[in-house]
Amino acid sequence: MSDPDPPALTAEIVRILARLEGHAPLEAELAARIAANVTRALGAVAASATRDLFELQPSSYLAELERLAERD
Amino acid sequence: MLLPGRATLVEAAAAIARGDYSSVELTRACLERAARLNGALNCFVRIEDQAALAQAAAADAARAAGRALGPLHGVPVALKDMFHDPARATSFGSRLQRAPLSAAAATVVARLDAAGAVRLGALSMSEFALGPTGHNEFYGPCRNPWNTAYIAAGSSSGAGAATAARIAFAALGSDSGGSIRLPAAVCGVLGLKPTYARVSRAGAMPLSWSADHIGPLARTAADLARLLSVIAGHDPADPSSSHRAVPDYEARLGAGIGGLVVGVPQNFFFSGVDAELQRLIDAALAVLVARGVRLTTVELPEPERLADLCLTLLYSEAAALHGHALRTRGTEYSPQVRARIATGLAIPAAAYLEALLLRAPLLRSFVCAVYSSCDVLVTPTLAQPVPTLAATDVGAGTDMWATIGALVRCTAPFNYLGLPALSLPIGFSANGLPAGLQLVGRPFAEARLLAIAAAYQAETTWHQRAPALD
Repeated sequence: MSDPDPPALTAEIVRILARLEGHAPLEAELAARIAANVTRALGAVAASATRDLFELQPSSYLAELERLAERD
Repeated sequence: MLLPGRATLVEAAAAIARGDYSSVELTRACLERAARLNGALNCFVRIEDQAALAQAAAADAARAAGRALGPLHGVPVALKDMFHDPARATSFGSRLQRAPLSAAAATVVARLDAAGAVRLGALSMSEFALGPTGHNEFYGPCRNPWNTAYIAAGSSSGAGAATAARIAFAALGSDSGGSIRLPAAVCGVLGLKPTYARVSRAGAMPLSWSADHIGPLARTAADLARLLSVIAGHDPADPSSSHRAVPDYEARLGAGIGGLVVGVPQNFFFSGVDAELQRLIDAALAVLVARGVRLTTVELPEPERLADLCLTLLYSEAAALHGHALRTRGTEYSPQVRARIATGLAIPAAAYLEALLLRAPLLRSFVCAVYSSCDVLVTPTLAQPVPTLAATDVGAGTDMWATIGALVRCTAPFNYLGLPALSLPIGFSANGLPAGLQLVGRPFAEARLLAIAAAYQAETTWHQRAPALD
């Protein structure tokens, strides 16, 4: 069941993640803007994942491109 | 003199082959034009006179010896400043000095050289190919040849501007979210993002291995076809490149388009489109209908998420590629590019991998839903009027995401899906800036997109108009 009102990523979490990954501290305002954008992106991923992906691997995409190709 | 303003790439190649002009004559004329206009347009990072004239002289010597180099023999073109060549510098639009990508030249560079092309120099680009407006904090903005107060778009800014300004007969760019199609649309030329894996990326600057595509910009469909024929095809140096045979794109330009069905999306792509642009698109579709095309409406499956999925891949992969440099030399990035790459630091690995795995099923559902009822999909390339440089000079400020999002709204979805997409110039807005129509096909349907573009250009003269720069 999807969460009707999922929480947003916060600027503080973005700043912590950047620091954990060894990067210089991000400015608070910039981190807030990044948080908003990542929240949106994660929403798109979650909304698109409507079934198990057990049978897939990254290379499945290239095979699918070839399979769906325009027929000459 | 047979400048790009008076001949297409295909015509120039024929003129050289006949001996009407030498490659040196043509190259010299293009270099003079580049030197004269670059101050106003800033479309070249480097004009490489000596190297270009040496290539041209070699092409003339080969012809004198009765040796044809290939389908681009002696023709001056230009490349975005991101393709490795051990003999020339490459900036990637950045001020970071980096080690060379490899010892060998990028595959597309080697293929252009083998086909006899003359490379005029390195074209302006957004820093690390990350920016749809054409601003560059270090090298200055590239300007639109139709009105220098407006954007040339990005990230292949110089490729669009130099081709439209008739400096180069054609150009090579890259596209990870719209970076070929947007400059093509706002500069009034054609731009083709081929199918993912159609063109080798070996030796090209990577931004996102899942979203990166390399392709040509030119003034006619025939020119695009010739360039694609040269650069397409499997490359052992790029294991992701397709083994599929490369069709004779030029031979198929004349394939009739009568009976083809063009799908017009009912959701997302035309929502909120500028009214003047809508009229230009309606007029363009009427031209195709007069050539026997039938229009149908199509409902797209979840198109609004595709751009976000593309950016999920792009930012995650860019953050990994730039991780070390961002940690150690972060202050040498512009604020906007640093902010955009840093976005990837906050995307969880599971979300990135889910977006990656979802590509196959979402591609399948999109192709089945759309191409069961039409042969080609049309959308605006850019759904808003061409903005000014001033209006889009937003840096990493509060308007950054909205500005970028509006520009790539119609283009980034097809980087995620990997479908071939061509931007076709279809006229001008009242302010004199060009407009583009995006044609999107099934995987590896480049020949069909080019045939439609060629049929449209046979009935219209937009591509013959040149910006008033002289």
